Amino acid sequence: MQFIGPLCKRVKSEYMRLRQLKRFRKAEEIKALFQSNRRKIEGRTELLNEEWSKLRIQSIPLSTTSGSLPSKKLCMVESGFPSFPYQAVAMRPLTTVAGIPFMYSWSPLQQNFMVEDETFLHNIPYMGDEVLEQDEAFLEELIDNYDGVHGDRGEAGQTCLFIQFVLGQYPFCFKSQIQDNADFSLAFPSLGRELSANKKIPHDKIFTAIASMFPYKGTMEELKDKYKDLLEPSSPVKLPPLCTPNMDGPLAKSVQREQSLHSFHTLFCRRCFKYDCFLHPFHASPNVYKRKNKEIRMETEPCGLDCFLLQVQLSEYITISYVFLLKFADQNMQSSQRPRRRRRQPRPSSSCGPTPSGFCEEGKEGGSDHETTSSSEGNSQCPSPAKLRPGEEGAEESESPPQWSGAEESLFRVLHGTYYNNFCSIARLIGTKTCREVYEFAVKEVLIHHVPLEDGGISPQKKKRKHSLCSERIVLISLSICLTDNSSNQVYNYQPCDHPEHPCDSSCSCVMTQNFCEKFCQCDQECQNRFPGCRCKTQCNTKQCPCYLAVRECDPDLCMTCGAADHWDSKQVSCKNCSIQRGLKKHLLLAPSDVAGWGTFIKEPVQKNELISEYCGELISQDEADRRGRIYDKYMSSFLFNLNNDFVVDATRKGNKIRFANHSVNPNCYAKVVMVNGDHRIGIFAKRAIQRGEELFFDYRYSQADALKYVGIEREIDIV
Amino acid sequence: AVPTLQGQSGASDSQPVSAMAPQKHGSGGNGFYANSTSKVANGGAHVSSGVVMTSVKRPKMEQVQADHELFLQAFEKPTQIYRFLRTRNLIAPIFLHRSLTYMSHRNSRTNSKRKYFGVNDLLFKVEKSKVDQDSHNMASNLQLTFTGFFHKTEKPLQNSENEENSVSVEMLLVKVCHKKRKDVSCPVKQVPTGKKQVPLNPDSSQTKLGAFPTLIVPSHEFEPSNSHMVKSYSLLFRVSRPGGRELNGMTTRDNVMEELSNRKKRYCSNQDDGETTFVAQMTVFDKNRRLQLLDGEYEVSMQEMEESPVGKKRATWETILDGKWLPPFETFSQGPTLQFTLRWTNDTADRGTAPVAKPLATRNSESSTVDSSKPSNVKPPQAVGKITSTEQTHVEPRQKLRVYYQFLYNNNTQQQTEARDDLHCPWCTLNCRKLYSLLKHLKLSHSRFIFNYVPHPKGARIDVSINECYDGSYVGNPQDIHCQPGFAFSRNGPVKRTPVTHFLVCRPKRSKPSLSEFLEPEDGEQEQQRTYISGHNRLYFHSDSCMPLRPQEMDVDSEDERDPAWLREKTVMQIDEFTDVNEGEKEVMKLWNLHVMKHGYIADTQMNQACMLFVEQHGTTIIEKNLCRNVLLHLVSMHDFGLVNTGNIDKAMAQLRDLKQQKDGQEQSKTQDNADGGSSGDGEASVSNFVKTKNH
Repeated sequence: MQFIGPLCKRVKSEYMRLRQLKRFRKAEEIKALFQSNRRKIEGRTELLNEEWSKLRIQSIPLSTTSGSLPSKKLCMVESGFPSFPYQAVAMRPLTTVAGIPFMYSWSPLQQNFMVEDETFLHNIPYMGDEVLEQDEAFLEELIDNYDGVHGDRGEAGQTCLFIQFVLGQYPFCFKSQIQDNADFSLAFPSLGRELSANKKIPHDKIFTAIASMFPYKGTMEELKDKYKDLLEPSSPVKLPPLCTPNMDGPLAKSVQREQSLHSFHTLFCRRCFKYDCFLHPFHASPNVYKRKNKEIRMETEPCGLDCFLLQVQLSEYITISYVFLLKFADQNMQSSQRPRRRRRQPRPSSSCGPTPSGFCEEGKEGGSDHETTSSSEGNSQCPSPAKLRPGEEGAEESESPPQWSGAEESLFRVLHGTYYNNFCSIARLIGTKTCREVYEFAVKEVLIHHVPLEDGGISPQKKKRKHSLCSERIVLISLSICLTDNSSNQVYNYQPCDHPEHPCDSSCSCVMTQNFCEKFCQCDQECQNRFPGCRCKTQCNTKQCPCYLAVRECDPDLCMTCGAADHWDSKQVSCKNCSIQRGLKKHLLLAPSDVAGWGTFIKEPVQKNELISEYCGELISQDEADRRGRIYDKYMSSFLFNLNNDFVVDATRKGNKIRFANHSVNPNCYAKVVMVNGDHRIGIFAKRAIQRGEELFFDYRYSQADALKYVGIEREIDIV
Repeated sequence: AVPTLQGQSGASDSQPVSAMAPQKHGSGGNGFYANSTSKVANGGAHVSSGVVMTSVKRPKMEQVQADHELFLQAFEKPTQIYRFLRTRNLIAPIFLHRSLTYMSHRNSRTNSKRKYFGVNDLLFKVEKSKVDQDSHNMASNLQLTFTGFFHKTEKPLQNSENEENSVSVEMLLVKVCHKKRKDVSCPVKQVPTGKKQVPLNPDSSQTKLGAFPTLIVPSHEFEPSNSHMVKSYSLLFRVSRPGGRELNGMTTRDNVMEELSNRKKRYCSNQDDGETTFVAQMTVFDKNRRLQLLDGEYEVSMQEMEESPVGKKRATWETILDGKWLPPFETFSQGPTLQFTLRWTNDTADRGTAPVAKPLATRNSESSTVDSSKPSNVKPPQAVGKITSTEQTHVEPRQKLRVYYQFLYNNNTQQQTEARDDLHCPWCTLNCRKLYSLLKHLKLSHSRFIFNYVPHPKGARIDVSINECYDGSYVGNPQDIHCQPGFAFSRNGPVKRTPVTHFLVCRPKRSKPSLSEFLEPEDGEQEQQRTYISGHNRLYFHSDSCMPLRPQEMDVDSEDERDPAWLREKTVMQIDEFTDVNEGEKEVMKLWNLHVMKHGYIADTQMNQACMLFVEQHGTTIIEKNLCRNVLLHLVSMHDFGLVNTGNIDKAMAQLRDLKQQKDGQEQSKTQDNADGGSSGDGEASVSNFVKTKNH
């Protein structure tokens, strides 16, 4: 115990030191951030100043007092010295300038932005001291709605410190043991081993000392276990992430087509044409299966003197192509069924939650299957195909065995899936190989890798995990839709359906939600539930147009005659039913409202039924809207707008200028939720012809059913 | 009593009328508006005396006092404001009352000629006037119709007798001839043209038009005489007033006239002992034989004759009254002045169409600085119109119209009644001359009050109450108020301003003037009042910074970009967050996302084009970052989604290849180095990524 005594002291001082170090580091970090922010601001100011200096401005010339109103008072300055004259200047009253209304900051946005539910309350809303005191009950209720409040010190912050702390004891412990060599000779060898191994658990004594210092943290054993636990997760992280190496990099490996394209396939949003888009957290994988046949074309003309077509007999070529076709069709069928998610590291809650049954099974299967392949491929620098390759090639082509790098091999497989046996094109795209070499490689691939190719379609383990709760929620919602009754006025969010091998019937999610199948659905082109588009030759602004009748905007990929697919660059489109998707909004201006707070004003006159703006904001779930709405009601200001049964648009944090339009029971605008290329979007349209400079109003109670939801807003207007 | 048109004096004579406007006790007399530094401030006559006169009759003084306090509380401040505004409007008018529709009778011009107006008329007019000037010399007779002689005496005039109500005016034509060799000075010939009795301080409303005396200078007088070449002609007026007393030593050296202020000279000479003689001289033709007197109404400031005539050289421009300096126009309110109408005419009998003189602005402004109790003897300008026949149709039948003002205060529970005999606005002393105009003027110009018209057997009753709704808010163009510093007054070249639309209705529908519109309004009538200013009549703000939008920024919608900076940053960050996406893929994805966000693609059919544009715009970046194969993967992936066809992949990649070859050709060795360095850098980057994940 004599040993524990100084150790305790040491523990204490070490603890203090670490704490201080942490604090210091944090302060440094903040300082650095502050400095960088200052620099940013300075840069901006410089830009602004430059702009101002470019403007030709003259200061206001003071009008001379002579000739103007004689009733002006003079302001005199008299100096005591006789030699100095009096100085007088006319008093000039300034007009009062009214202050501007209050505004919370927000980010501009021209398209909806989906955000996840916030299960943690980010901050306790401040509504003035009076409210805070009065409404403690409200705040308590509010906090109850959430899983917790952001900033509650979790374990995460402490773990790092703890590990550091324990490790920090090593040197001291070591020293003290040297000092007390005789007494603790038994302890020494173990410690020595520890230090040399550098991976083992520190000596118990350290934990004992810590436990005695911080009794509330648990016993020595508990601490030890905890330490072990904390060290544990760090080890898997050390492994290189299961990630396909950069195709253009030096470490490019020869992998299967699926792996090469996996990132692109899974992250690409077919609806937004973007990777990892802001609106659709759930991206379907490409359905290669139904690719148009005309794309598969064979090259029959040799591309040059060295073309493989001149060397290879045509019959052979065709048989090979046949084999390829079969194989790829098989493979693609498999892959098409498997939408997979990428994992995003910083998300804290990535692991838990139920996954939809279909995906789950698939995932497990693929995971277990691939465990072996991935480890063998991942750990050995030379993947199996590469290993096999040199011998084979050496045997075939004695004179100049062309070296196929990993990247080239991968690229071949990728392109082969697209170009099939069009080896000339493949060779051109690869760039470093002739078509003959490509052909020869292809022959080998088919012979050698026939078997591995089959399970190559199965994805590695990494791809399976859902990266967010958000997508799970959507699936849950779409499931819940089936359970609730479909009354006619309910509008549900569209989700592309994906049920291979059987047509869109009553089990199809689109049919169930009473949505049309869109071009994003995986179902057949000829699906009965597909919306056919219009064949209008007019403006599509009457109910004659099937799109207009169905409260849809014309789809530029379906409606080919109305002009929705023409004139991409101009704002003059003959079709008047595609304004939202094209962003043909009006120039809006912001000024203090004549009614309450801020108001939205229009710059140019508009005609009746013209789109004024889309009401943009964060796309949140109905549950989240309920939670947020409770706070907004307290603030007496709400930017919530019901989109459909699943989602609400909240323009509080992100939005566009139309968010400032006030409510009126006699408005000049109306809101309409329109299906725009598979997304519900809120358009604000002119209810009548509007003059320039008019303030815009629309009826917040856009449907009777929602009237209750916006009581808060009505209340606000009443007060003002 | 000498009744004048200016009802105030008449009213104060005939009845103990109190001040129409509330005034603090003891502040009476001179200067209703204490803060006003204006010398010409006037209208004091109305305020001036007897504020408390209504209360004098009341028996209970204390109650009266309290009542009066309430009255003052309600009406004092707006009244002061309107008094101030009136003064300001006199000095620097923003508009002329006569140009208002409901004051059209104050306007002497007619628009009838405009119908036939052509641009050439201007030329004709000028040419004609030139010819006229020459022809005047010989052709026309000079006809002078004397309206009256005005002179304010110390004694009230009502005491004077009848025969004193006229003075005799003698007019002489003075011809100054060219010197002949033998002459020492210019020979001067005085040709008497006649002598007439002219009414003294007449009230034009009571005098008939034809009754005015007329003197004619025949045209042959202006023809060159045989013996002497006449250098200049001038008229000399000699007014002798019988029974004259020694008047104040008013010496006026001022050549003030309405239009021809500098063409008149005066000097004085004493003639008779028994009577006072005033003289004045006006030039008809100057040395260059230019005509100086055009048709019009003239008022000549007369000069009392003195022992020694003041020579031309000693003449100055001051006006002195009792040793005090007077503003130039003060002479006209004090007199003595002679008023006449001058015409050049061929027909001696024609006298009905004398041109109408324009009133002097200062005519209203008598005596506030001098002595408010002094009754005005100057005809108000409006009276001039009465003389002319053209105006007579507009004038209301002259009857004793009494206007009762009933002031309602203390929540309309108390009232105080004042009566006036004229149609002057009690606040700005404007003579509206018609009840309709008066009511309209009150309603429009004094909106701090509410005026309601109630018909009354003796005339009219106007209920005056405080307008509680008056908030002083500005109803003009707000851009004028919010004129943004540094821009509104920029004189450094053209500056953009916010476009504001004013509706100017060309021939607005006007209901016939009817007094019924001033009756107490029914509910709902207020709604019809709409602002006629539309457009951007407000100051706009930037939605991100809440800073005022400058006019030159109006046309740019700063917040309408499809890819705001924060969103661009966000998408880059979001992609960087992935741990299982390699660096090359990330770079391509970021580039592509920014590309799509910038162009806002919406249709599948756009994708082929989008890919080509992508390669075109970002080709160099792709090659620099060594991303060609990743781009190919991206394109193949797009193909898998059915968005691009193979032909486009080929084309896009061919373009990239060409670009790369170009670059390689340009700097072969360098590119080689870069490729090595770049690839090793790639490796480092991925390693660092590993490290990063470890830290997580």
